[in-house]
Amino acid sequence: MEKMKIEDFINELKEALEIENEDQEITLETNLKELEEYDSLSVLSIIAMIDKNFDKQIPSADFIKITTVSGLMDLIGKEHFV
Amino acid sequence: MNSIFSLKNKNILITGASSGIGRQCAIIFSQLGANVILIARSKERLKQTFDKLEKGNHLTISQDITEYNKLEEVVRCSVEKVGKISGFVHSAGIEMTLPLRSMQPSYYENIFSVNVIAGFELAKIISKKKYINKDGASFVFISSVMGILGQSGKVGYCSSKGALISGTKAMALELAKKNIRVNCVLPGVVETEMSNKMFENLPEESKKTIMDMHPLGLGKPNDIAHACTYLLSDAARWITGTNLIVDGGYSAK
Repeated sequence: MEKMKIEDFINELKEALEIENEDQEITLETNLKELEEYDSLSVLSIIAMIDKNFDKQIPSADFIKITTVSGLMDLIGKEHFV
Repeated sequence: MNSIFSLKNKNILITGASSGIGRQCAIIFSQLGANVILIARSKERLKQTFDKLEKGNHLTISQDITEYNKLEEVVRCSVEKVGKISGFVHSAGIEMTLPLRSMQPSYYENIFSVNVIAGFELAKIISKKKYINKDGASFVFISSVMGILGQSGKVGYCSSKGALISGTKAMALELAKKNIRVNCVLPGVVETEMSNKMFENLPEESKKTIMDMHPLGLGKPNDIAHACTYLLSDAARWITGTNLIVDGGYSAK
């Protein structure tokens, strides 16, 4: 599987969260849970996005333990990113 | 059991028979005197259901029902080994909770192929003269209250269950002259492997909301199997093209 650029991953994440404001900055340190767009359905969207891009099924029990974008990338596996 | 609700001597084909509602239907029907034909993918899990059946002339066939071109052979083989079909329960189904924005065409196709198309294809084949019991038959599609009510994240699931309801009505009209009755059962949330899996993917507060939506609490597979029994039995002789809601009060709100 091809490695993904962090920038592309953040764009995928924005899409899953339906963040349409291009100026809204998401960084590795952004706390996902503090985002206005974060809710139970967006969690499912993010999990589906990860499944689609990384062929990895993240249980939501694991997902809710993480807070930041960086934490999410650890969960997916840092080796998947460049 | 000698009662109008008996299923004695009825040969009933069940999809999704290896788990949840389908499995419980098989067990209950066998206890009421039916011969059951169990269809599901997993041979091993089918055997687990088979081992729980009351004695009878039962059959298990391991088959992925979305391989549509194999279905005629499944029915032919069932009729040869068990006899002509007098009942069909389509309980195979998949659940998906995903917001509209994340849905893909292939997800809809996957849900509809199992939940709807495979069931309708089997109904088509079973209703052929050479396979169907000459004194009539009863088909039951396991839909869901989600077929008439919405819930966010459930566009795929709700629409597939709704398709069963409207398809049932059309089929009931078409098959009435063959004395085949066609109905839907609409369960609320029943404690099965499928709903447990769904619960695992939901946060704690959503679980509580779902529980609270059922005034009589969550259902058991038996609750649905009993409703199916009624529709399959001669007691439901005059019932066709309808929905039987079995949801612990969910849709009364």
